[in-house]
Amino acid sequence: MNKRLLILKTTLWAFVGVLAVLTVARFVNGLGAVTNLSDAAPWGLWIGFDVMGGVALAAGGFVIAATVYIFGLERYRPFVRPAILTAFLGYIAVAVGLSYDLGVPWHIWYPARYWQYHSALFEVAACVMLYLTVLTLEFAPVVLEHPRLDKPLLRKLLATLRRVTIPLVIAGIVLSTLHQSSLGSLFLITPYRLHPLWYSPIMYVLFFISAVGLGLMMVNLESLLAAFFLGHKVHKELLSGLGLAAAAVLGSYAVLRIGDLAVRGVLTSYLTSSWQSVLFLSELAISAIIPAGLLLIRPVRSSIGGLALCSALTVLGMVMYRLDVAIVAFARPAQLAYFPSWMEFAVSLGIVATFILIFISFVENFRVYDDTGQAAGSGKPSYDPATLHALLPHRLALPRRFSLAAIAAAAVAVVFLPQEAITGVLPANTPVVASRTVDGLPVRRDGGGRKLRLIDRSDSIPQGTPFLMIDGNRNGYPVLFDHKAHEARLENDRSCGVCHHLNKPFDRNTACFECHRDMYEPVSIFNHTSHVAQLEGNAGCTQCHQQPAMEKSAETAVACAECHADLVSPLSLVEEPEERWRAAVGYMEAMHGLCVDCHETKLAEDPENLPPALDRCDTCHDADRPIELQRMAPHIVATRQSGGGE
Amino acid sequence: MSDSVAILNDTTRCTGCEKCVAACKQEYELGRDRPWRGQGAVSDLSSTRYTTIIRRPEEHYVRQQCRHCLEPACVSACLVGAMQKTPEGPVVYDAEKCMGCRYCLAVCPYGIPRYEWDRRVPYVTKCTMCIDRIRRGEVPACVDACPEEATMFGTRAELLAEAHRRIDQDPGKYQPRVFGEHEIGGTSVIYISDIPLDFLAWKPDLGTQPLPERTWAALHKVPAMMVGVGGLMAGVYWVVGRRMKLASEAAMEAEATDIAEDTQGGAAESRRG
Repeated sequence: MNKRLLILKTTLWAFVGVLAVLTVARFVNGLGAVTNLSDAAPWGLWIGFDVMGGVALAAGGFVIAATVYIFGLERYRPFVRPAILTAFLGYIAVAVGLSYDLGVPWHIWYPARYWQYHSALFEVAACVMLYLTVLTLEFAPVVLEHPRLDKPLLRKLLATLRRVTIPLVIAGIVLSTLHQSSLGSLFLITPYRLHPLWYSPIMYVLFFISAVGLGLMMVNLESLLAAFFLGHKVHKELLSGLGLAAAAVLGSYAVLRIGDLAVRGVLTSYLTSSWQSVLFLSELAISAIIPAGLLLIRPVRSSIGGLALCSALTVLGMVMYRLDVAIVAFARPAQLAYFPSWMEFAVSLGIVATFILIFISFVENFRVYDDTGQAAGSGKPSYDPATLHALLPHRLALPRRFSLAAIAAAAVAVVFLPQEAITGVLPANTPVVASRTVDGLPVRRDGGGRKLRLIDRSDSIPQGTPFLMIDGNRNGYPVLFDHKAHEARLENDRSCGVCHHLNKPFDRNTACFECHRDMYEPVSIFNHTSHVAQLEGNAGCTQCHQQPAMEKSAETAVACAECHADLVSPLSLVEEPEERWRAAVGYMEAMHGLCVDCHETKLAEDPENLPPALDRCDTCHDADRPIELQRMAPHIVATRQSGGGE
Repeated sequence: MSDSVAILNDTTRCTGCEKCVAACKQEYELGRDRPWRGQGAVSDLSSTRYTTIIRRPEEHYVRQQCRHCLEPACVSACLVGAMQKTPEGPVVYDAEKCMGCRYCLAVCPYGIPRYEWDRRVPYVTKCTMCIDRIRRGEVPACVDACPEEATMFGTRAELLAEAHRRIDQDPGKYQPRVFGEHEIGGTSVIYISDIPLDFLAWKPDLGTQPLPERTWAALHKVPAMMVGVGGLMAGVYWVVGRRMKLASEAAMEAEATDIAEDTQGGAAESRRG
């Protein structure tokens, strides 16, 4: 094994180690714990790259099979086996990548159970499943001809498979044509979200042609990589032949893409200085125009460097095309950006690494390439015969070396895992309504202390004191906050740290309820005096305190609910206090749950004698009402001023 | 579809009390909101909130919920049939079939379906128009709870007539259209409003063409493509094979010089092509 391959394999094993850690995190803690996906960005890197990119990158299989078996261009036969193996492993990688992305991965085969022919995604799924079967059969002979598998039954199977090669190849071409194009059809239904420079009624044609071009260049790139890492022969003549064909395909793709936009008038109206236009132009240049142009130049396409550059550009550009369609140019609300988490990247890379390792192992153990390369031993001894010093690590040392790489990388990955990937998704911090100042007026409270009052615009006071409006509990309900009073109460300069501590991990300011513990607690509203009066003095004691032997206290008395049956509204969002005998729900609940409901009922019973509309929300929550009533719903006033809450 | 059920939202009547939201939460036991990243506010639609009130400037309240399109994009997109348009009208979701691909989230023109991102095994959530209640002969929970009759339940034809009646009666008050009457083939949840409701969809002008038709324009070609590509490949294989066979036979017949030269020329040409 040469040094390059050793470094490559060690690196790949490191990625596999990271993948192992993330696999656990993904399947134990769910999609949300490791991805940056959201309802606004339901599809991310795993669909854009692993699935859409993966399928396109594996297009070399059917392109080369068609070239050799159907069009009879026998000289390209050396590419058949590597291309089929790439496609075979590529499609398995797609399935694996998809199972990371699916919410219910064990339902991955359900399209085969519930046929939905009207869905473009069903078409893709069906074709991919069938094509994977075809690829398995196409590749099986390579495995079966291994000397160790030379058993009578297997030999018979091999002969049968060889006999059906042509039908298999034709089936593969048909299925590939269908699903490569259907990947484009996926987005026909989202004309509103996909940017017009990418959306086109003929997207499926563009996807198919670009896949053919990409397939040719992928075979090119792969041969060069196999030569570089595995020491296989470079068929330079043939590669430059593929390059010329790719130039034609990529050129017609570029012409068709621009022509389609021009004919539909999109080019003139949407090609501006926007970032989408820049992205579109660079994508088209990298994926097609530059490589096609370069490949037309004979010296470029007959040099290894030129071919490597062109194939790398095409691969990069075409993957970019898929990513643009699936993610970048797919509209999201402006403030809800999506960028993949490092874990999403690492899973994608890890899957690719895993399958490159499997590819290499196939190459090392089966006759994938015509020449032996260095895989089967290039004749070089692994030690220096003069000194007996090992030139390369001993064979047995390799597993140890690779394990070490994988474990070390896994350990690093664990260190960098965010909290959610380890513990599972934590309750999200509620988005905070930003604090702002409003004009207010300090009012003395009867019992001393300060109280704030919003200044009505109609008030004739020239300027009020600015007060802070904060969403301290982070629940979307900002309240006036008297910063000065809090400062004073908490011993001035030393008080800052009580709220702004800045030293707890993941911390924000102290929420209001952390000090005001009773904020959401049920409150005691029991008025003994009024009950005594209602129940006719001493004679009424026993109605509540029914056990004369016991001390007369709240604990021994009859529960409130025994008499007041609907103390808590059935619509209440707040849990009922457990100790109903001595406490009622909070103020807002009391108003909404008790008053409003009750007024509704009473109003229905006796509409004549009751004040109308007390059951209506805008009776209290209305900006036209007196200021005291307006303050009953400060959050509504606040959101109105800030211009809506969407 | 004229007797399918529908909901009419009249935003001029909505006071933003959120009783519909509370009733919906109670009906489906959704519990407290679990907002997810990428959500603007707690009160946005989420996997724990199937309907919500959007507050627009100047005290306008617009209820957001699934529109139950007459030709739903989500139903056409779902590759396992987890999304279904019921004969009654509502679009419902069957978690048993769902594979979690989230194509429905991507294609909905109104951005309605939500995903339980914080769950280990997440499913899609959305308003079902209380299909079970409808089948029992009741009205949806939200409609039941509305104190202002801002949201009404009935057959689509009935509600469309009512909507037009209200607009005709007071043309100055309303926008001159029923939102959801024709867009993308029509929706079962329709709105009349004094403010434009374009913000409810991804783009202001949705057009009247049902979305599934756009996919079908490409997908209906699949059988023909299958036969066409298969036939073409088989044909090319046969022609190329035959030419090569002829060429090799001709090469062997060394004595028939004139004819052999002609055929070889032809074969070489076909090889180059």
